Amino acid sequence: MILRLIFFCFMAFAASAAWAQQGPLRIEITEGVIEPLPFAVPDFVAETGDAGQLGRDIARVIAADLTGTGLFRELPASAFISQVTDFGAQVQYADWKAINAQALITGAVATQGDRITVKFRLFDVFSGAPLGDGVQFGGTREGWRRMAHKVADAVYSRITGEGGYFDSRVVFVSESGPKGDRRKRLAIMDYDGANVLYLTGSESIVLAPRFSPNGDRVLYTSYETGSPRVYVLDVGSVNRRVLESGVGTMSFAPRFAPDGSRIVFSVSEGANTDIYEMDISSGQMGRLTNTPAIETAPSYSPDGSQIVFESDRSGNQQLYVMPANGGEPRRISFGEGRYGTPVWSPRGDLIAFTKQSKGRFHIGVMRTDGSEERLLTASFLDESPSWAPNGRVIMFNRETQGAQGRSSLYSVDITGRNLRPVSTPEGGSDPSWGPLQN
Amino acid sequence: MHTLLIGWVIFGGVFQSEPLPFEVQSVSMITSEQFAALTAPDALPEATTDVVAPETPEPQEAAPELPEPVEAPPPPPQPEAAEEVVEDAPSAPPEDTAILLPETNDDPTPQDSERVAPEVVTPPDPEAAPDEVEQEAVTEDQSADRPAEEQEATAPEEATTEIVTEAEEPSGRLTSSLRPPQNRPAPPASVDQEVPPEEVPAAEEPAASDTDDAVRAALEGAAEPDVPTGPPLSAGEKDALRVAVSSCWNVGSLSSEALRTTVVVDVAMNQDGTPQTGSIRMASFSGGSESAARQAFEAARRAIIRCGARGFDLPVEKYGQWQEIEMTFNPEGMRLR
Repeated sequence: MILRLIFFCFMAFAASAAWAQQGPLRIEITEGVIEPLPFAVPDFVAETGDAGQLGRDIARVIAADLTGTGLFRELPASAFISQVTDFGAQVQYADWKAINAQALITGAVATQGDRITVKFRLFDVFSGAPLGDGVQFGGTREGWRRMAHKVADAVYSRITGEGGYFDSRVVFVSESGPKGDRRKRLAIMDYDGANVLYLTGSESIVLAPRFSPNGDRVLYTSYETGSPRVYVLDVGSVNRRVLESGVGTMSFAPRFAPDGSRIVFSVSEGANTDIYEMDISSGQMGRLTNTPAIETAPSYSPDGSQIVFESDRSGNQQLYVMPANGGEPRRISFGEGRYGTPVWSPRGDLIAFTKQSKGRFHIGVMRTDGSEERLLTASFLDESPSWAPNGRVIMFNRETQGAQGRSSLYSVDITGRNLRPVSTPEGGSDPSWGPLQN
Repeated sequence: MHTLLIGWVIFGGVFQSEPLPFEVQSVSMITSEQFAALTAPDALPEATTDVVAPETPEPQEAAPELPEPVEAPPPPPQPEAAEEVVEDAPSAPPEDTAILLPETNDDPTPQDSERVAPEVVTPPDPEAAPDEVEQEAVTEDQSADRPAEEQEATAPEEATTEIVTEAEEPSGRLTSSLRPPQNRPAPPASVDQEVPPEEVPAAEEPAASDTDDAVRAALEGAAEPDVPTGPPLSAGEKDALRVAVSSCWNVGSLSSEALRTTVVVDVAMNQDGTPQTGSIRMASFSGGSESAARQAFEAARRAIIRCGARGFDLPVEKYGQWQEIEMTFNPEGMRLR
C-alpha cells in the first residue's frame, strides 16, 4: 500500500514536471493564403490651392498601378472612417484597421508654377508603424503620371521586396485596318497604355521592336526596302539607320546585348537562317550558328554570357541555349509541340516562350535548364512575350480568330494569375517592355 | 521498490525542469513632454528625389517627317522571299495552320477566385462582410433583457485551393467546401460578442474583487508568477492555432525570394489569447537574403496581429504552455501553388 502511494506521488510529480514549460510553444505554419492585400490611398492632400485635382489624379493612378498587379486590392473611399486632410497628422490606425486596410498610403502635392512636388508615406496599419521613410519627388506638371508611377513603384517595392515596373514604357507595333490590309507602325507608350506616341509611319511593315537596355534606342525590322532589314532608332530624336547585314541577305529578329553595344539577330541567305552578332558602332559581324536548320529569335541572358534561341535542327522547332560567343548549344525544351520566341527573364531565372500545341498557342515559362515548364495562357494565337523590368509580369499579344480578328496586348503574372488586356488606341502586337526610367 | 527504482532511473533525468525563461527589459521614466515628442508625427519625408521632366521624346516634332497614316499610300506588296522568312519565323505562324484551329473563346478566363487558401471556401452570403471569422448577423432585440450589440454578418472570403492558369485544368483537389456554405447554426452567444472589446478587462488587469486582491497579494509574495501551466497543448489545440494563423498569412504579395525564405518569429501572448504586438520579432531566417526575410517577417507579423486581434482560441488553463510562442513560417508549399 505504501509502495503504491509512493509510486502514485512519483508519477504525479513526473507529470507535473512534464507540464512545466520547456521553452516557447513551437508551431510551424506551412499553409497560407494568396489574396490581394487590401490598401487605402486617400486623395493626396493639396498643399497649394490649385493642386486639388492633381492630388485626386495621382491617387487614382497609384491605385490603378497597384490593383493592376493583382497583388493588391483598393478599399473604396466610401469605406474610410478617417479622412486625411493633413499630411503631417498622426495616422488613426484604429480607423484603418477597422476597415481591414493593411497598407495605407498618404501623400501631398504642391504646385509652384510649372513645377510640382509630390510626397508620400506608407504605413503598415496592423503593425501601427510607417513602412520605410517618406519620399518626395519633384518634376514638371505634365510629368505628374510619372511621379504617381514612382510612388506606386516605391510602395510595391517596399511591400513585396521586388522592384516595381510602373514607371516604364513599352514599344510595340500599333495595328489598324482589316487583316488583309493591316497597317503597322511603331508606337511607344507608358506601361499602362497612357501617352501613346508613334515613332514611324505606316507606309511599310514594321515588326518586332526591341528596347535597348537603357531605353534610349529601339531595334526593329522593317520592309521599307522590300526585304526585311534591321534598323536602330534613337527614341529621343526618332532618327534611325539600317544595320547592314550583307548584300543579298535578309536580317530580322534583332535584340540588344545587355551592355547595349552589340546586337544578336538572324540573317537569312537562301533557305538557310543563322544567328549572328554585330557590334553596333563598327558594324562588325560574327556568326554564332552554322547549320542548315532555321535558327532565330535569339535572346541574351541578363549577364550576357548565354543566348537562348529557337531552332528546328531536331526536325521540330525547339529551344536551345548556347554560349554568347557561339559554341555547342544544348536543347532545353522537350515537351510536345513547337516552341518559339524565347526571352530570358531580367532576373535570369526563367525563360518565357510561345508554345504551339494541339491547335492552341500558349505563353509559358520554364527554368533556364528547361525544367518546371508552366503554360500561363491558352488561346487561338498568343505570341511575342516580353518581360517587365522586374521579371514578374509578361506582356504579349493575342490575336482573335476570323477575318475580323484583331491583335491586342495582354499581360499576365508569371504565376498565371491576373491575365488582363492592356489598353491601346488601336490593335497592338510585338510588345517590348523597356527598363524602369530614371 | 524495484518499480520505484526503475521509474527513478528512467524518468529522473528526463523531467528535470529548468527555470522558466524570462525576458528582462529595462525601463526608464520620462516626462510627459518627452513622451509627446516621441509620439509626435514624423518629420517631413527624409528622402527627396527630383524627378526630371519625363524623358519622353518629342516624336510629334519629328513625326511630320513621317507621312500620316491616313495620307500614306498602301504599303507595297511584299516580295515572296520576305513572306517565306516571316512564315519561318515563329512570330507569324502560317495562316493555314491557324485556319485549322478549333473555335475557341479567346476572352481571358477569370480565375475562379482571386483568393487561394488551404481550404476551398464557397462564395459567402453577399450580405456578409469579408472576415476571417464567420459570424451571423445580430440585430438589436428590444425584447431581450440585455439587447445584444448589433453585429454585421461576416464570413470568410471565397477561396480556391490553387492557382489555375488559363492553360491548365484544375487538379483533383476539392472543388467545393465540406463546410456548410453559410448560415451555419449560430454559435452560443458569447460574452465577446456582446461586450465591446474596449470593455473587456485586460488579462493583465484582473477585475478588482476581494478574492482577486487576495490572489494578487498571494502572487506578489510568490517567487515567480504563478501562471496556469496545465498539460502541454494537444495536437488538436496546436492545429487550431496553426490554422488560425494560416488563414491570415497572406503570401500573395511576397517576392519570389521571400517565398523561398523561412522565418522564425517569436511572440509573447496575453492570457486572453491576443498577441503582444510589440513582442513580435524575427528570431532567425533561412533560405533568402535579409531583405527578403524582412518582407517575409512583415507578412508573418501581419498574420499574427490580424488573426490574433480577437484572441486565438487557446486554453487559458494552459497559459503557461503558450505564453511564449515560436512560429516558423515556411512558405515552401505556397511557392508551388
